Amino acid sequence: MLGLMTADFDFDLESTAPASKEVLLGRVAQGNETAFGDLYDQMAPRVLGLVKRLLIDHAQSEEVTQEIFLEIWQSASRYEAQRGGASTWILTMAHRRAVDRIRSSQAGRDRDTKIGIRDLAVEYDNVSETVETRIEHERVEKAMSRLTELQRQAISLAYYGGLSHSEVAERLHIPLGTVKTRLRDGMIRLRDELGVAA
Amino acid sequence: MTGTGNNRVDNVGENPGEMSGAYALHALNPGEAAGYEAHLAESEQARIEAAELSDTAVALGLATAPVQPSAALKASLMARLATTPQLPPLRAPTVAPAVVRAVPVPPDVVEPAAERPAEASAGPVTPVAASSGGTASERARRRWFRGPVSMLVAAAAAVALFVGGAFAGQAFNSDQFPQQQAAGLAQINSAPDSKRASTTTSDGHKATLVWSTERKLSALLVDDLPELPSDKDYQLWYIGGTGAVSAGTFDSSGTGTVWRVLDGSITVGDLIGVTVEPKGGSKQPTTDPIVAIQSS
Repeated sequence: MLGLMTADFDFDLESTAPASKEVLLGRVAQGNETAFGDLYDQMAPRVLGLVKRLLIDHAQSEEVTQEIFLEIWQSASRYEAQRGGASTWILTMAHRRAVDRIRSSQAGRDRDTKIGIRDLAVEYDNVSETVETRIEHERVEKAMSRLTELQRQAISLAYYGGLSHSEVAERLHIPLGTVKTRLRDGMIRLRDELGVAA
Repeated sequence: MTGTGNNRVDNVGENPGEMSGAYALHALNPGEAAGYEAHLAESEQARIEAAELSDTAVALGLATAPVQPSAALKASLMARLATTPQLPPLRAPTVAPAVVRAVPVPPDVVEPAAERPAEASAGPVTPVAASSGGTASERARRRWFRGPVSMLVAAAAAVALFVGGAFAGQAFNSDQFPQQQAAGLAQINSAPDSKRASTTTSDGHKATLVWSTERKLSALLVDDLPELPSDKDYQLWYIGGTGAVSAGTFDSSGTGTVWRVLDGSITVGDLIGVTVEPKGGSKQPTTDPIVAIQSS
């Protein structure tokens, strides 16, 4: 007969409280598909909203969104919570992916004409909005209004239009060096208006 | 303007710091971005500015209206997970809330006659660190399995890849064994009902049992379990009211985390024990267990 030894039980793996995105991402890194599904439910409308803002075409935006979430699945182990929130990590990745798609395909040139005729102010449809996103939107819009016209245009073209700084220079008929300066000054101003600190 | 450089580092001029806004907005070409990142590596102040402006760009992203994706998108995505590889962690985590993060890169893995793995150094994340981290975790896996290199590749791939994939719990030959072990561990850790319990061995080494009742799978992980003489093996047992049933044998290199997915099926309440047995295992335990943990 075997003697027994005492075991310390430790059941903190699964909590009954709704998990934060950071916790979910940690579980995704361990190959947890349920956590991935939950994270997707929380973040997919955000990601698709941003991607579609750049790509405009819905089908193509869904395709890029799928690529983004597969990248999240693959590289979740590389997320470092001490360097920022999960939303920040995901949306940074989403924006980069959308920009890559624009630069690597004919899609970029196709949508160029559409960008040209759009209002470049912070655009907002009131579909599927929540209080949270409305507040965030108003906060950013207010911060954007504190920029100079040139800063605002340059940042909007780069971030929402997905244009490179040299394309921004062409579009606004100003030298590249000036674009760099405007982008930096404008982003620093936005950072201060929004109270972002590392 | 010159160029659309690929795979090159562009000269970013005398004031690379001016690129921070364009960098945060993903408005640089790849060569310029690489040039700016080289600047970041040298300047703490630039790194802080880059991080803040990157967060600022995210605020712009959060200000866009959410768009609900089609149901088909999620379904298609979930179906692809099982065949999509996951990258191993770059370094040992400072906290180990769950098992897999603790397993792939034990901080104290030492590879004899080779460079010390770089995974423990906590520098900034760079492509160089990424490749050496991968190598370190592969080395770690090789230690656990103590098998030839071809087996280690299979095992490393299986840990990463086959979450939710087919796991055959029987009929293993020597080639398939590590892969099945790795797939089994991944299955346990990805199970919605995954649980664990920890204790220490009679020598004071940390032992953790992880299991999924739903998938009837369990694995035991032990830190720094001493290496046995060549004529002995560690043997796992399911211990119930009617006696002990063997759940397989394993050995240990003495350093790092050794782990073994148990043969057979775990049932709620099973007590899992380990004894030291003659090489190849015994029909029934012949020594007192060095550790026993109960599932629940």
